[in-house]
Order: sequence, then C-alpha cells, then structure tokens
Amino acid sequence: MLRLPLNDAVVGALFWSTVTIALYVVAKRLYQRWPRWWLMPLAVAPVALIAAALALHTSYHDYIRGTHWIVSLLGPATVAFAVPIYEQRALIRRQWWVLAAGMLAGSITSMITAWALATTLGLNGALRLSLLPRSMSTPFAMAVSDEIGGVPELTAVFVIATGVLGAIMGEIMLARFPIRSALAKGALLGVGAHGAGTAKAHEIGREEGSVAGLVMVLVGLFNVLLAPLLAMGLRLV
Amino acid sequence: MTLRSIRLRVQRLVHRSLVLQVGLVFAFWFAGQKAVDLAGLPVPGGVIGMLVVLVLLASRRISVFSMRRGAQWFIADMVLFFVPACLALLDHRELIGLLGLKILVVVLGGTAAVMGVTGLTVDLCYRWRSHHAAAPAE
Repeated sequence: MLRLPLNDAVVGALFWSTVTIALYVVAKRLYQRWPRWWLMPLAVAPVALIAAALALHTSYHDYIRGTHWIVSLLGPATVAFAVPIYEQRALIRRQWWVLAAGMLAGSITSMITAWALATTLGLNGALRLSLLPRSMSTPFAMAVSDEIGGVPELTAVFVIATGVLGAIMGEIMLARFPIRSALAKGALLGVGAHGAGTAKAHEIGREEGSVAGLVMVLVGLFNVLLAPLLAMGLRLV
Repeated sequence: MTLRSIRLRVQRLVHRSLVLQVGLVFAFWFAGQKAVDLAGLPVPGGVIGMLVVLVLLASRRISVFSMRRGAQWFIADMVLFFVPACLALLDHRELIGLLGLKILVVVLGGTAAVMGVTGLTVDLCYRWRSHHAAAPAE
C-alpha cells in the first residue's frame, strides 16, 4: 500500500500518455476520412481528453506530470523547421520584404486589437496585459508578458487558446478569403496562430509550412526585442 | 581506412536511417537548450538550435539529406505536441463563464484581425510586386 503513490505516478504517466496519443491518432484518422473544420484533431483531441480527465477526476497537475514530455517535443520540432526554411530559401530571399511588411502589420494589429477589445469588454490590469502577446509561441509570449507586467502563466493559456482556435479559424478564413499565394497563406497562419498555425500550414503545403515556420520564429524574436520599448510605452498610457 | 572514407560512410548511414536523423534533431535541440541555460537568453532553446542548423545547412557543413526525413517526422505530427497543453483549462475554472466568454471574444476577434491584416498585406504586396516585376517586359 505504501508504494502506491509512486506506482500511481508511473501508471498515470503511462495511462495518460497512451490515451493522449491514441485519441490524437483516432482524431487524425477521422479528419482524414471527413475533413471538416470541427473534426480537426486540434479541436477533437483536447475536448475528448478534457472529458476523460473530468470523468476520471484527474487534475491538470496529475495529467501534465505524466504527459509533459509530449509538449516538450515542440523544442526539437522547432529545430526541424530549419529544413523546410532552408529548402524554400530562394522564395524567402526573393520575397523577404513582403514577409517583413506582413509580420509588422500583423504584430501591430495583434497588440492593438487585443488592447481595444479587452478595454471595450471591461478587462483591465494584468489580465489585459496578459492578453497582448498571445499570438506568439509560448516561450516568447511568456517572456514578453513578464516584461510588460502581465501574468506569464495566464498568457500561456491564452497562447494555447489562440493557437488552437487560430488554426481552426485560419482554415475557415483561407477557404473564404481571396488569398491565393502560398506566401500569404503561410504568413497568415504563422503570424496569427504560431506553432499550431504552422502545423496547419504544413498540412496545406511545403511552401506554406516553411513560410509559417519562418515568420513564427521571426515575429517571436522581434517582439521579445521590442518588449522593453513596449513596456515603456504602456507605462505612459 | 582514411578519415574521408569514414566520413562518407557515416554520412551514408545517416542519410538512410530515420532514427539517426531524429537523434540528430534532438542533439541540436539539446545543445540549443544548454546554450540558452548557460547564457540566460530569453529565447527558446529550439530557436537557437534551428538557427544553428540553418547556418550549417547554408554553409554546406551538413547536407539537407542528413536531416530531411527526421525533420519531416517531427513536423508531420506536430499538432499532437500541443494537445496536452490544452488541458491547462482544467486549472482555470474561473475562465468558464462570463469572464471566459469575454476572453474568447478577445482571442477570436483579435486573431481574425491579425490573420486578415497579415494575409491581405502579404497578398497585396506580393501581387503588386509580381505586377511591377512583369511590367518592364511588356
């Protein structure tokens, strides 16, 4: 009986890792069979997992303790972006200023709309500041949030929400908007929905995917470098 | 066996093996993480690893075929790596209700605006450029 807690952690890790991967694989198959936006693995798998965790009375703490290794694979996945970016170097070199214009416009829009919408809805203080950097990938966003006076942990939740919802929205928007070039499709997904958007872009095509991966990393770097300036500006508001 | 022939053998082995390529991606990530920890940079280790790999690829110190399959392996199922993080919602029950609804509006509205502006800016610049690049030929 005394060894049960340790046992629990190991069994829990094995159980939840297996369930997470299995649900993802099932969701992926479903989506391949019926490609509707509401059947996207990024929508179906988390909803099914939350339902499972609630049914089995598992807390987030207990769940993530055993499955954190899956999230940390985002690190090597970022390294892997180097290959598609290198393979599309000719396109990127030719169109770098077009991409720069899109990244700048997107970053500014992101901050302004988050600030304006939050203010309109009566969300103030640290909560509003935590919402500002939500379009970047998590480590960048948390660094910026900390710098400008937000709550990094809360920002991390908003970043995930933005990625998941953004990847779904991006797919719907691309189907309805008159955006044709691979360059614009990739930039839209990479700037708007960071890694999740980049994963979506790779599903669409290699050019789209490499552009999304590149702009995601550049937007993150750009914002981290700009954060002290932004913090100064916010103190004046 | 000369040094050169050993190098060629290793290279051929890496080009053929998915496991070795995945290991290579991991190694660069690990090195990037260590560099970030040592220097205290506000940048994820993966980004440093990515920049290093890009420089090595561009300077032809490593061949793209040594990493291509390994990289594809990671990218193909990247969505899976986001799934566990979504369960953070379990810890933020306060977000279920009016407050969560407001935040949802900010996230959805803001993201739609960012995507619309970015996509249209890039698409318009791209069309304007290809139009002007084509003009002198006419």
